[in-house]
Amino acid sequence: MNAASPTLAREVPRTNVETFKYDNRIVRAFAIATVIWGIVGMSAGLLCAVQLFFPAANFNLQFVTFGRLRPVHTNAVIFAFVGNGMFMGIYYSLQRLCKARMFSDKLSWLNFWGWNAIIVAAAITLPLGFTTSKEYAELEWPIKIAIAVIWVAFTINLLGTIVKRREKHIYVAIWFYIATALTVAILHIVNGLEVPVTFWKGYSIYAGVQDALVQWWYGHNAVAFFLTTPYLGMMYYYLPKAANRPVFSYRLSIIHFWALIFIYIWAGPHHLLYTALPDWAQSLGMVFSIMLIAPSWGGMLNGLLTLRGAWDKVRQDPVLKFMVGAVTAYGMATLEGPALAIKSVNSLSHYTDWTIAHVHTGALGWNGLLTFSVLYWLIPRLYDTKLWSTKLANYHFWIALLGMMFYVIPMYIAGITEGMMWKQFTKEGFLQYPNFLETVQQIIPFYRLRAIGGTLYIFGVWLMAYNLWKTARAGVFVPEEEVQAVSYRTQSAAHADPAFSHRWLESKPMLLTGAALIAVLIGGMIEIIPMIVIKENVPTISSVKPYSPLELLGRDIYIREGCLGCHSQMIRPFRSETERYGEYSKAGEYVYDHPFLWGSKRIGPDLQRVGGKYPDAWHYNHLDDPRSTSPGSIMPRYPWLLSQELDTTSLEARISALRRVGVPYPAGYEGKALEDLNHQAAKIVIDLSVGQVKAQPDREIIAVIAYLQRLGADIKSAPKAVPAVAANK
Amino acid sequence: MSQIIDKLGGIETFGIVSICLFVAVFTASMVLAFCLKKPFLKSMGALPLEDDRPKNNITNPPSL
Repeated sequence: MNAASPTLAREVPRTNVETFKYDNRIVRAFAIATVIWGIVGMSAGLLCAVQLFFPAANFNLQFVTFGRLRPVHTNAVIFAFVGNGMFMGIYYSLQRLCKARMFSDKLSWLNFWGWNAIIVAAAITLPLGFTTSKEYAELEWPIKIAIAVIWVAFTINLLGTIVKRREKHIYVAIWFYIATALTVAILHIVNGLEVPVTFWKGYSIYAGVQDALVQWWYGHNAVAFFLTTPYLGMMYYYLPKAANRPVFSYRLSIIHFWALIFIYIWAGPHHLLYTALPDWAQSLGMVFSIMLIAPSWGGMLNGLLTLRGAWDKVRQDPVLKFMVGAVTAYGMATLEGPALAIKSVNSLSHYTDWTIAHVHTGALGWNGLLTFSVLYWLIPRLYDTKLWSTKLANYHFWIALLGMMFYVIPMYIAGITEGMMWKQFTKEGFLQYPNFLETVQQIIPFYRLRAIGGTLYIFGVWLMAYNLWKTARAGVFVPEEEVQAVSYRTQSAAHADPAFSHRWLESKPMLLTGAALIAVLIGGMIEIIPMIVIKENVPTISSVKPYSPLELLGRDIYIREGCLGCHSQMIRPFRSETERYGEYSKAGEYVYDHPFLWGSKRIGPDLQRVGGKYPDAWHYNHLDDPRSTSPGSIMPRYPWLLSQELDTTSLEARISALRRVGVPYPAGYEGKALEDLNHQAAKIVIDLSVGQVKAQPDREIIAVIAYLQRLGADIKSAPKAVPAVAANK
Repeated sequence: MSQIIDKLGGIETFGIVSICLFVAVFTASMVLAFCLKKPFLKSMGALPLEDDRPKNNITNPPSL
């Protein structure tokens, strides 16, 4: 028996003892899925990484080209690897902390098969180019609806288990699970609102600045409530288990929980610093991001200090090694995140590989290492045996750590290098590196090193898979674990909790859920109210018009190919950017952009003002083979755009859908759209012939050229403001 | 842009309200946490360890 048996004093009549079984089958299913999807998702990431220094690694196949593959990687590691890891951790710990079997086995399996079917659907549709383009929310509307249904099933199962629990007080890990379930549902629904066009295409109901704010409110909190809170819950359960020590401070965990969930939801605008978002929202995002250090570090210290008196075990036990690594990485990432949210730091780091280094400290370190530790701890217990090889698990730890170092250190150097190079001026006042390619060439060696790091990390996962497989083979699976417990409901009322104390709150699951909901809603509401205000007040620019039918289809191909994975469309108000790209971006330029395409990373240059910068023939040749026009470019070839016929069958539906979300196409324009499209395509073909390019007007590349030539053209055509003095003359 | 938002009236108070709300939530959680008695904190902090006893979650075994 464990030394810490706090409730020994309770008088328990023998007749009140209940016998029941924990469901281990569902835990094993999620564990297997975690390992498989981990390997798949990380391998997709490795292929993306290789393509950045060896573009031919897409084999000229559109389905595995960087723009389409990157969301496969991000969705697979976030929702497949971490998602299944999260369910694995929750389904095991929740039953034991509640001393109850899951509320419904049917809901458990609906959760498992539904979630994994969604992942398979994502793995098929994203390479096919069915994407909304919104980061970590790329899946199109039918899959989004399926996600909502499965998430509701999970939430009902979670809350149902809590309601039928035998343990009176709800442990801190479960509070984090509740916050996860509630907040992810809200974020997913609000950000996912679309007007359907076809079965695999929808347009965001938000445009431009509003869309950006909602998206990064979602994007940031997907990190918070999908990658962080469930894993903090797991930390609070598995770390004490592995260390055989109670939590360092339960009091601190209370403050950690409420402060964290309250603050996190506000910090989204730090992804949009120096953009066309109002300063007020940017500053709010920055301030709350900095405040986030306090609860994050409170949680980290609570985790690490739980190991007090058990540090000698860390040397021997790979499970604890992984946990210490994970919690340390969490501390590093949550210190760095607020630092990156400071506007002056962000002015350098944004759009660079620094952000990639930051997110991978969290993903590889916090989520990866914690998942591995739980797997190493859990699988031997599920199979009633010992881990097959502790030595191999220790090797895995050091290989994973080395892989992380090889990944993040080159990315830090690359990020700072490119950030500095983009901003560097000569003493005469010109850009030191006016050709963007010079800055790309400089960081290619770091991309190679990053791929080595990724390879090491994946190799470690393969070692783990082998070790766990051998462990399972050596043991006997325990599908159901029979236990006995006494329900708190059968105990005397002498143990009643003082009303309105936290102890009382911990025994009221619905009240606790309501309080957590209010805590996360406040931040969301206060951020969304200005968003609505902005919607009414974005200064319109009279020269900004809706896209022509051909440009619209070209824009949708731009989305399909994931061009925004490498090219931003947001020029910040810095001299280094206006010198390089042109006039800084205004909110009014995006009023017809459903969705916004600002991007978050510049592997290539910003395209907001690319319209009219090059002739049509340049774009044609560049898309066919980027190195023909830009020697040394790492952009992939897009030969299929030259050969694939432009699909105009849904053109009318697209125009109607955009009108429904507020784009002012004239009534009945659907009937004239195809004629306009053909007319514009014919003009581009003539222009291409001037550049010695023979092209057919009905190919996809014509639409893409039309769209690229439109970018920034509206504001260039705007009449120049007449200075007041001149006007008065 | 921010000037236009500012002119809408009351928008600048959002920042102050936000900070005040956080201080209120933080203070409330501190008060609630520090009002808890040590035995309860100790028992809850050790809750994950309770099911370590093999196949038995009875807090007070019948034989005692």
